[in-house]
Amino acid sequence: MNLRSVAKVFDLRVVVEEVRGFCDLPMRPGDYFEVKGGRITIPQGKHICMWALAAMLPMFPAKQRKIDEENDWLPSTRHMCCPDPNGMVIYRIERIPAGDNRGPKVSTKEVDDRENKPFPRMLVDEKVCSGCRSCELACSFYKTGLFSVDEASIRVAKDEVNGMDRPLVCRQCGNARCVQACPAGALDRHPETHAVRLYAEVCTGCGACAEACPFGSVHFREGKPLFCDLCGGDPRCIERCATGALRYGRAGEPPLKGGPRAAIKGGR
Amino acid sequence: MTCGYAGKVARVNLTTGKVTVEPLEQQLARNYLGGRGFNMRRLYDEIPPNLDGLSPENKLFFSVGPLVGTFFPGAARFNVSAKSPQTGILGDSNAGGFFGPELKFAGYDQLIIEGKAPKPVYLFICNDRIEIRDAQHLWGQDVWATQSAILQELRDARVQVAAVGTAAENGVRFAGVFANLVRAAARTGMGTVMALKNLKAIAVRGNQPVRVADHAGFAGLMREIDRAIYEHREYPARALMGTTKLVHALNEAGCLATRHFQTGRFEGAEAVSGEVLAETVKVKSKSCFGCTIPCSRFFQISRGPFAGLKSEGPEFEGLAGFSSRVGVADLAAALKGVDLCNRYGLDVITTSEVISFAMELYQRGILSRAEADGLDLTWGNVDTVLTLIEKINRREGFGDVLADGVKAAAQKIGRGSEEYAFHVKGLELFQADPRGLKAYALGYAVASRGGDHLRSEPSFEFSGDAAAGQRMYGHPDAAFRLKYKGKGRVVKHYEEWSALADCLEACKNTIVNMEIVDFAMAAKLMRTVTGWDIDREEVQAICERVVNLERAFNTREGLTRKDDTLPRRFTDEPLPQDAGPSAGSVVELQPMLDEYYQARGWDTATGIPTFSKLRELGLEKEARELKERGLIHDEA
Repeated sequence: MNLRSVAKVFDLRVVVEEVRGFCDLPMRPGDYFEVKGGRITIPQGKHICMWALAAMLPMFPAKQRKIDEENDWLPSTRHMCCPDPNGMVIYRIERIPAGDNRGPKVSTKEVDDRENKPFPRMLVDEKVCSGCRSCELACSFYKTGLFSVDEASIRVAKDEVNGMDRPLVCRQCGNARCVQACPAGALDRHPETHAVRLYAEVCTGCGACAEACPFGSVHFREGKPLFCDLCGGDPRCIERCATGALRYGRAGEPPLKGGPRAAIKGGR
Repeated sequence: MTCGYAGKVARVNLTTGKVTVEPLEQQLARNYLGGRGFNMRRLYDEIPPNLDGLSPENKLFFSVGPLVGTFFPGAARFNVSAKSPQTGILGDSNAGGFFGPELKFAGYDQLIIEGKAPKPVYLFICNDRIEIRDAQHLWGQDVWATQSAILQELRDARVQVAAVGTAAENGVRFAGVFANLVRAAARTGMGTVMALKNLKAIAVRGNQPVRVADHAGFAGLMREIDRAIYEHREYPARALMGTTKLVHALNEAGCLATRHFQTGRFEGAEAVSGEVLAETVKVKSKSCFGCTIPCSRFFQISRGPFAGLKSEGPEFEGLAGFSSRVGVADLAAALKGVDLCNRYGLDVITTSEVISFAMELYQRGILSRAEADGLDLTWGNVDTVLTLIEKINRREGFGDVLADGVKAAAQKIGRGSEEYAFHVKGLELFQADPRGLKAYALGYAVASRGGDHLRSEPSFEFSGDAAAGQRMYGHPDAAFRLKYKGKGRVVKHYEEWSALADCLEACKNTIVNMEIVDFAMAAKLMRTVTGWDIDREEVQAICERVVNLERAFNTREGLTRKDDTLPRRFTDEPLPQDAGPSAGSVVELQPMLDEYYQARGWDTATGIPTFSKLRELGLEKEARELKERGLIHDEA
């Protein structure tokens, strides 16, 4: 055996396969970069998320090498997820086949600002939620004219012993699992607000959407799921949120609506 | 049914297991609004005179009000009332949290508990279904364990539970009804009554909508109210500290009850203040149902002997009760005291009173260490304070002496200890020294449930607005806490205002202290919620009716002017020099009482409502009854 044989080192291409949550940078499905030897190249005009890169870096040298060891998990590991649990950007690490020295085409189409940014959505900060459930009341009152928290598409899960309050509301995932999971095709996205939209007459009430939802935010009323429609782009629940736990907008930007009404600890 | 009301009253007889559901009488709603008003009406009608509070014939009334279930901030409360086993007079208490709204969503404005179950039970109310369920496995569990067990058993995290703790089971006479772990309807021993009925808890869940008559009108009023709340000068402090801000504020004013009201300044106050709590152990702000003023807070202690302690709360009453009142300058220890009371289901005001009472007796040599089970009752001894809470909960040893309240404890101990038992009509006072707050002092003396601040909360006396004092209450002194003139009319007005909050079942912090809802605004709210043609005068008359009905109830129990009193220390011993701005002050009770009875239209000599006053308020039947009993002498 030639002990001095040089290990074969593959080049890698890392592609955004899907965005299950949302990415504010944004990373979009199809975005990629390449790892060639010790160099990372990003296609002209594109970018890569620093946090995702930091999480994946240790994998690259391992995936560049051929591993013969049986039962090793490395050869079969192709997917990695961005460390932000709300983002859930899934990256696929592929080996670039020999001779492929042109990466996939990157769209050069001029993207308008609206498309280049994620759609505004409900932003939730559990750490400041006081657990008052005003949002539930506002949702039901403005949608149905009644005060009935069971009509609300936003609900606050409370753990009183540990003082935890989690507003469970549709986060309008970029790549919504609920829409994909619906076997009846009862869900799509609203063209204007991009909110997940339910066709109640098509819905069979099977609950697949709720199972698929990574945020536990699909609530049911009389067997049918309730989907937040963002009140057409002006969520009314936020008007009753005193702490700023609920805001409407894009992460990292000043909210379009909402924010704490007073200087309370943990808020801004 | 009228919008704003669920429209039903449930009556549960625990002796027979019979459950009946009656429609809510329209006249009851229109004449008493809800909550405390409903309960007082039933209490007067259904509790015979001189009934022993510990008798199985005693009844428990739970009520909610017309705003409960809407998003009116703080309309999250319920009143629980019965004949008090602690004071022997009217018993009534209320609490916030999430239980009240859920009872309304289940479809009930009032719940009446009669009789006594043969074995421990709990009630599960889910819309039309009312089940009496076995609770033998819950008996002996504290409030927290009981709630957790019931939520698990019913497999629904949105069930709301109001439970009694072990103190109530053991017959402590100042045990409360606790909802959402820490939301205590603690005063006058309502938990004691509940446990005597073998009723461990009430679990409730519902999805009946609450309706308002005028959707747009209500939404418009809410916009007005929101603005008033958010722009209120007290908002930031309330959202940060809630009532715990009072530790510092009252200490500055020189009327923070210190070492059992011996002075009004506590040298350790800054270590246990709301400010320090917010800076050091607060995790985040918390709210009752639908409230935009997150005045409660979740805290967690991460260092020291109480590391790991975490809970929601406390209010000023608990925090000052287990700090300044007993001389403890350790925040974590005070929080531990409150936490124990919450878990065992004890009233923090009464518990801290009986402990500080014992400590003062020890200081004065009236009580020996041996009599107190060998406990060192030196001021500020944390171990003693916590041990006594445990002993009271179990009615064990010296704890048994204290477990019936301070009035009874003084009777048992004797030897002049009555002098140091600070109660009015058998109910202990909270941690604000009345000598520095004259209107509060009068409020304590005349409150219908005994020595209590929440029946009036006359915060006008902090205003310093002499012109308003003259205009509204007939004397410029009404606006100054250390002066006593004009306070009779102030207290009358604030008693009715507080009754308004209790009838609507909305929070007094919002309605009264922040002055967000006056009688005119309440009338507007009631018009949009119910569709009634109701005006400011009618709303105020309802509140005056409730106060007079309560007085009639207590009159029937035999109370007169002589019971509207204060412990001698407050009327005779001036606050010492170290009490700063309040130093040298005593309560001029008798002239204030005269003025109060006059403002009320009651007999000044006896403090009993006049026939004409009762008749004017639509209480002619009650007036006749009191006349037949020889209690009213004026002509019809």
